[in-house]
Amino acid sequence: MTYLHLSFYSAFTLNTLGLAFHRTHLISALLCLEGMMLSMYIALSMWPIQTQSPSSTLLPILMLTFSACEAATGLALLVASTRTHGSDLLHNFNLLQC
Amino acid sequence: MTPQAKLIFTISLILGTTITISSNHWLMAWAGLEINTLAVLPLISKSHHPRAIEAATKYFLVQSAASALVLFSSTTNAWHTGQWDITQMTHPLSCLILTSAIAMKLGLVPFHFWFPEVLQGSTLTTGLLLSTAMKLPPMALLYMTSPSLNPTLLTTLAILSAALGGWMGLNQTQIRKILAFSSISHLGWMTIIIHYNPKLTLLNFYLYILMTAAVFLTLNSTKALKLSTLMTTWTKAPSLNAMLLLTLLSLAGLPPLTGFLPKWLIIQELTKQDMVSTATIISLLSLLGLFFYLRLAYCTTITLPPHTTNHMKQWHVNKPISPSIAILTTMSIALLPISPMILTAL
Repeated sequence: MTYLHLSFYSAFTLNTLGLAFHRTHLISALLCLEGMMLSMYIALSMWPIQTQSPSSTLLPILMLTFSACEAATGLALLVASTRTHGSDLLHNFNLLQC
Repeated sequence: MTPQAKLIFTISLILGTTITISSNHWLMAWAGLEINTLAVLPLISKSHHPRAIEAATKYFLVQSAASALVLFSSTTNAWHTGQWDITQMTHPLSCLILTSAIAMKLGLVPFHFWFPEVLQGSTLTTGLLLSTAMKLPPMALLYMTSPSLNPTLLTTLAILSAALGGWMGLNQTQIRKILAFSSISHLGWMTIIIHYNPKLTLLNFYLYILMTAAVFLTLNSTKALKLSTLMTTWTKAPSLNAMLLLTLLSLAGLPPLTGFLPKWLIIQELTKQDMVSTATIISLLSLLGLFFYLRLAYCTTITLPPHTTNHMKQWHVNKPISPSIAILTTMSIALLPISPMILTAL
């Protein structure tokens, strides 16, 4: 199943790089975070199939619950930062500079 | 914020910390980390000030990315070894990614850029929570996985943390940023010894919590946020300001005070493990921190008439100071003589 491993690793890595190199908008960072969580969900769903342990089929559901909460929190912070800073442009997040 | 909301967030913080510390399965540890992140965000952004919202956004992005990396490293390890036990991380790529994820959670050096800004954007009590309680779950994970992590990488991160924590704190006038850099350099001291004697890491962590809590609560009672404001706080509570001098020097690690104990034991253990040059380098780098602690102590306690300050006298009302400050300050100054008892309790 190495094709599966490669696709999971590359999906997660591309999303991590997208989160690290986000340049203009906060929402692109939140999208990359959601992409990371989605690739983790697929990986966790494939794991019990590969190792024939059906008791671990609960794991992706637990992970999905927490990542949904996290996505909602991210969007709430997006709304809050749009109210205080006027937009979600990362260029404006400079009130706390060293 | 209503008391019910504050109660829910406080209970969620305690729950998340307890879940992570007592977990054996990686998914439980990750769930505890997520609960902690979600619960502390409303506490940071409570005042809806633009700086607080910006601090909350930066904190959220960094901590969520680190949690996702923790989950990724544990899934990779599970695919290669078939089990999810926290103490049995054997795949080298997983260990590498886990080290960087924990470094991001704690604020160790290549991943420390969020920490001063997040502390600057939050109030002093929330900053205390971020510096002490939010470091407990990642420190517990580091303690549990430390035998399988690469010691060279951990030593490198530790020395860089001590160096940058010292150097970048030198040019700051905002006290919360100074305390953030002091936290980063203390984390460097905690990380350098974790491979050789993890109990010293925990000792350093507990004593760091004690001293940092004393400093944060003292500053909160005198509402001093900048160096210039700190110069006129002696009018508010003169004896507390005098004690702040000793507490800051204890954070710096000067000998008859409590903060010297972890540094002494760490240097002794490093020397026993034949890492004398590492011990020398990290001791010299903590001298940089001593400079800004001395500057804080000078502004607090030694700036009395006839030495003039460049700040107007502030309005102050007589608010009672909580007795916990007295307990924490006394413990952070005078615990060195009972250090054998502390060591047997570890």
